[in-house]
Amino acid sequence: MPRSADSAIPRRPLRLIGGAAVALAIALLVGTLFWSILSAASAQTSSGPTTDIGYLIYITTLQASLSTVLSLVVGIALAWALNRLRFPGRTLVIGLFASAIVTPGIVVAFGLIAVWGRSGWLGGLGVPIFGLGGVVAAHIILDAAFAGRILLARLDAIPEARLKTGQSFALSPLNRFAVIDWPAIRGTLPGLASIIFLLAFTSFPIVLLLGGGPAVQTLEVAIYAAARLDFDLVTAVTLALIQIGICSAVIVAGAALAPVSTSLDRPVTPRWQDAGAARALQWLVLGLALCGFAAPLLAVLIDGLAGLGDVLGDRAFWSAALTSVTVGAASALLALMLGLLVAAARAATTSRIARTAIGAPAYAYLAVPAVALALGAFLFVRNLGIVPDAIAPAIVVIANALLSLPFVMAAIAPPFDAIARSRGRLIRSLGLGGTRQFAQIEWPLIARDVGLVLALSFCFSLGDLGVIALFDTQDFVTLPLLMVRALGAYRTNDAATIAALMLVLTIAAFIALPALFERLSRARA
Amino acid sequence: MLRPAILAFAAFLALGHPAAAQDKPNLTVYTYDSFTAEWGPGPALKAGFEASCACTLTYVAAEDGISAFRRVQLEGPTTKADLVVGLDNFIAGDARASGLFAPHGLDLSGLNLPQPWTEADFVPFDYGYFAFVYNKETVPTPPTSFEELIALPESFKIVVMDPRSSTPGLGLVVWIRQAYGDRAPEIWAGLKPHILTMSRGWSEGYGLFLKGEADMVVSYTTSPAFHALTENDTRYAAATFSEGHIAQIEVSGILKSSPNQDLARQFLTYMISAEGQKAIPQTNWMFPVIDLGADLPEAFGAPPAKALPVDEAAVTANRNAWIEEALAAIR
Repeated sequence: MPRSADSAIPRRPLRLIGGAAVALAIALLVGTLFWSILSAASAQTSSGPTTDIGYLIYITTLQASLSTVLSLVVGIALAWALNRLRFPGRTLVIGLFASAIVTPGIVVAFGLIAVWGRSGWLGGLGVPIFGLGGVVAAHIILDAAFAGRILLARLDAIPEARLKTGQSFALSPLNRFAVIDWPAIRGTLPGLASIIFLLAFTSFPIVLLLGGGPAVQTLEVAIYAAARLDFDLVTAVTLALIQIGICSAVIVAGAALAPVSTSLDRPVTPRWQDAGAARALQWLVLGLALCGFAAPLLAVLIDGLAGLGDVLGDRAFWSAALTSVTVGAASALLALMLGLLVAAARAATTSRIARTAIGAPAYAYLAVPAVALALGAFLFVRNLGIVPDAIAPAIVVIANALLSLPFVMAAIAPPFDAIARSRGRLIRSLGLGGTRQFAQIEWPLIARDVGLVLALSFCFSLGDLGVIALFDTQDFVTLPLLMVRALGAYRTNDAATIAALMLVLTIAAFIALPALFERLSRARA
Repeated sequence: MLRPAILAFAAFLALGHPAAAQDKPNLTVYTYDSFTAEWGPGPALKAGFEASCACTLTYVAAEDGISAFRRVQLEGPTTKADLVVGLDNFIAGDARASGLFAPHGLDLSGLNLPQPWTEADFVPFDYGYFAFVYNKETVPTPPTSFEELIALPESFKIVVMDPRSSTPGLGLVVWIRQAYGDRAPEIWAGLKPHILTMSRGWSEGYGLFLKGEADMVVSYTTSPAFHALTENDTRYAAATFSEGHIAQIEVSGILKSSPNQDLARQFLTYMISAEGQKAIPQTNWMFPVIDLGADLPEAFGAPPAKALPVDEAAVTANRNAWIEEALAAIR
């Protein structure tokens, strides 16, 4: 390996070891889960999948690709508009947008139906929401706003000096985007694309709810059927491996893309506004986004008002809320720790292979089908001789942390890279150690992102249904589980209220946590 | 390497996890989630049984009855489950073939069921007929057969569930097959333009219907009773189909590996006693398996006049082929 390219980057062997250890542990864990299932299946005879697997792979890949490309395009437009515009309630709007991705998908899908369905607010327009279009639309609502939120953080961090220079050259809005904005967000796109592809590929209830029938379905339904209805574990694992294979191709492509320097300044209130048509377009993007993204969420909130009294007076709700918040907080902290380890290690090397090997496993977990995850974890824990119920909370926390790790990576890996590149020489010339590098250089610059990351993984765990549903015991009930129970017992109003309250909690976390860490970072600096 | 960390973490998180009382025997019941929910029959049955059994009843809930059974299969003879509650006549064949269940030894001749009960391993505790539920205000004249439904304009929408992930979804596949035999694919093809979507589970599908997105939804003839009794809303009704309806019969079974055979048998006896059965209709929204007389609210209505038998052996043998032909017809 030629070291010349690394000359600007401080040597941090401990960081590399830490990140590699996390990556290895995740890879081993995924491997162990599959091994657990396969060894349980060894006595079985497999009849092979009966469904048209080729078609399921085709339609799932098509759907996920469409969802990814469109979400990124919409997300960039949204970040661009929000970066330029200032208006009352902007913080709330940003919080609302970001909360979509971590809200249980089924809640967002019902919000979409409440707006565009035949009995919805805009049902008269006859927009078809069932079928491939509906599924992709739901995924755009979930993922584009999230992409917009992450990209906005990068745009907001563009150094003031750079903006001033650009302004003095009187760059046109188009040139400004190409010369100043695009380089700032380019490094974040591959990670975002990986996440969105994985989420869309593994999305199960949304696809079945809005897919309109077996023509638009997902590979996970076949995996689920193999594991549950047919109890054909060999087929389940085979299909799960196909899913992981396809997702890994996307992950590795994303992780391998060369890092691009990311800007790292404190956000300033830009006094450089685009003029004329560009500004009108920005307001249009914002207006459309508000209708498209906020309306379904608003519908969820309004729907929830009906049962508010019942739910708030229910002890089970408060107990589930406490459990959810505890699980969310623990998962978020764990995800942040793992994310910091991996991101720091990834930034400490310029070898493309090393960066991929360290970065890719962080995403791998998201590609594992929920049913395989739960089955494997269940068997693994049993093989260790532990009663699964007793350890369910720990498993849920670990699984949720690993599931949110990609979000953490998407938000903090690019700044870590940028610090290594732009401040590397400074760090070397000052002879700073790894700890002081973190405390004095990195932390002040990433603290703002840490707030966002904690909010993301906290809410992601809060709204998670995949992991919790399969480790269900009497005493360990979270809010999403309570919501599903209410739905399953005809209690639609209660379910709507719980969904609305989760959404409120999520939006609050997205406004409060980044603001808190913003203040912390200023206090430290 | 991982183990001590996990254990420590588990110990930390498991604080407050109630330990079973040492002096009383414990009966562990694997069941489905909505059974144990506060609105389900679980809490009342637990309280009622514990009042007389000098034991502790513990529920372990899985996503649904099939998942509870799969969990026992995974655990094999070392399972701590004494009973599985919530299997049904669609999965009973698989459950029997697993060899994990012991004969219940109860006399069930007095039960009031859609078909005579001769099953040695499983004890039924409730049943319901699959039917399309509709809103009387928006659908004043509902179809009275699959063929009438097919003949309606395409704008008449129904919500069905995926047979691979949902019991009512599988129920519709079996229902059409029992009613039409080899003509089943033709019926499915006829239904295709009416199918708004095929949801993952009953909850989401029923939710779509309640939101007004579809005219009818696959559910049970007893679903309207929930709205009438709990919400005082009498708009909903179940369409009676002239082909006849099939029943889902929910059953429980005692595991061979259970050291508490007698206690488990006591619980099953309690479940089909008058007291136990009274706890079920208005929590599970299904018919009781004994005649409750005036204790069954009128809103439940009478079972459909024409009931189609479910051939359990045929279901077990052909389930996947039937699912496949139905999906192929509407893909």
